[in-house]
Amino acid sequence: MYSILALIFKYIFIIVIYLFIFSIIRLIYLDIKSMDAISFEDRAYLKLINRKDSLPFKIDEHYIIDGDIKLGRQNNNDIVIKDQYVSKEHFQIVEDEKEYYLEDLESVNGTYLNGDKLYDIVKLKDGDIIRIGKIEFLFVNRE
Amino acid sequence: MFKGEIRKQSPKNLLLLFQILALLLLLAYEQMHADKMIFIMAMGLILIIYLSNYLLIKISSGDNYIFLIVTMLITIGIIVIYRIDEKLGIKQLTWISLGIFLFFLVYFMVKRLKKIDDWLYLYLVLAYLLFIITFAFGDRKFGAINWVSFRGFAFQPGEITKIVLIFLLASYYSNTEKWRHIKYSSYYIMGVVYSFIALLFLQKDLGTALVFYIIFASIQFIYEEDRKLILYNIGLFLGSGVLGYVLFDHVKIRFQAWLNPWIYIERQGYQITQSLFAIAEGGFFGKGLGMGHPDFVPVVYTDFIFSAICEEMGIFTGIGIVMLFMIFVYRGFKIAISQENRFYRILAIGISTLFGIQSFIILGGVLKMIPLTGLTLPFISYGGSSILSSFIALSILQICSEDMTSREDTDE
Repeated sequence: MYSILALIFKYIFIIVIYLFIFSIIRLIYLDIKSMDAISFEDRAYLKLINRKDSLPFKIDEHYIIDGDIKLGRQNNNDIVIKDQYVSKEHFQIVEDEKEYYLEDLESVNGTYLNGDKLYDIVKLKDGDIIRIGKIEFLFVNRE
Repeated sequence: MFKGEIRKQSPKNLLLLFQILALLLLLAYEQMHADKMIFIMAMGLILIIYLSNYLLIKISSGDNYIFLIVTMLITIGIIVIYRIDEKLGIKQLTWISLGIFLFFLVYFMVKRLKKIDDWLYLYLVLAYLLFIITFAFGDRKFGAINWVSFRGFAFQPGEITKIVLIFLLASYYSNTEKWRHIKYSSYYIMGVVYSFIALLFLQKDLGTALVFYIIFASIQFIYEEDRKLILYNIGLFLGSGVLGYVLFDHVKIRFQAWLNPWIYIERQGYQITQSLFAIAEGGFFGKGLGMGHPDFVPVVYTDFIFSAICEEMGIFTGIGIVMLFMIFVYRGFKIAISQENRFYRILAIGISTLFGIQSFIILGGVLKMIPLTGLTLPFISYGGSSILSSFIALSILQICSEDMTSREDTDE
């Protein structure tokens, strides 16, 4: 009785072990894929204009705008940038019916949209350049 | 988004399925003399593993694959150990539970510590202290003095020294500016590592000596600015290897038993030939758990666990284990690449090298690819100190996988 069970189970064990390995490889594959090429096709995102290695702090090439996002130096922001020119809460982008609005959160050094200092809420359009300190982002929204 | 959330759970559930199936098989195996205690303990461990996998994703912002891979390795290991010797299996269950507890303890403690990259001298003293303990109180077991008994509780200080060595090297190579004013500081660190290797050689613990050397060589190769030192290192290693072969009998015996074990089948070659028979006997799918004779191989539950696994669960499971180790080491190097803090990056490199090279040496030895040296297969072999130190190293790797730059100035 036991020997038959052992016979069946050895095949099942091998199948389960390999399923486990492949599910992990798949997850890692997805992880890597999402790192270097997320499909930005139908989403709005911020693209870093500066060369990444010219900035002495951690920053990503792309930030996808998923709903409302806040940028600042503090860790509870959606985008955290540890630059001295960035305020604890610097600016936020609010989404409303597929339109995106940029608002400065009374930052010390200010937020600049296409070279002009921001004073109130402005609707963003594709190709706008947002500057804080020496960091420049390109706003991309191809709908 | 929701769909992806479910899919992310899948390896964890497969692991649970594997463990429950193993438990069912055990139930069928034990039906004549059912012992309730072992079932409760096994269920407890399954619950602990499932919960820790679940909790770790919540607690840690870092990698969540390494712990998953390790728990799979542990499950395969404990099934085979329990099958070989029930008492050892129960002991191993306790060690693993303790190891997981230690994993979380070290994780929270080391994460709190600041400036651990400055404690170079502490690591140095600690490493020598562990060697002194081994020499003063060590027992000879399986030809090597690496066991220290304390009130009936035996452990191997060498297992901890490995981690101390990685900390020592990381602490030195992450602060090269600080040490530059001392002339020939790189030579000193090389001397220190070679003194460790010489001490291990005196203990006749060749496997650990090799692990030490390779960890040192890989970190040196990546970070040493004085490139000719690497050449010296390789030259010195080859020279001392040849010298060791000529001078010491135990090195010569290992080497000859590897070249042709069949003439020494009665003595030095017995273990390796039995291991080869066991692997051949298993074939692709194995004999089935409980149907083989893994007890023919001496000390099968530690160094030779791989041949027992191959005999009863098949070479496919063996290949699976090698693949799991490969993914694990790959994840380790991935962690090192994405880590920005130099100290933690070197730690991650060191720990990945440790696991990679240790499993390579023992798997190669068991399969007669390279000369056999006694080492445990991390996370699979039976052994309290091996399991505990592996979990400590894993916990440090988990810390390394987190983003250190955002942690440093949270309290501004």
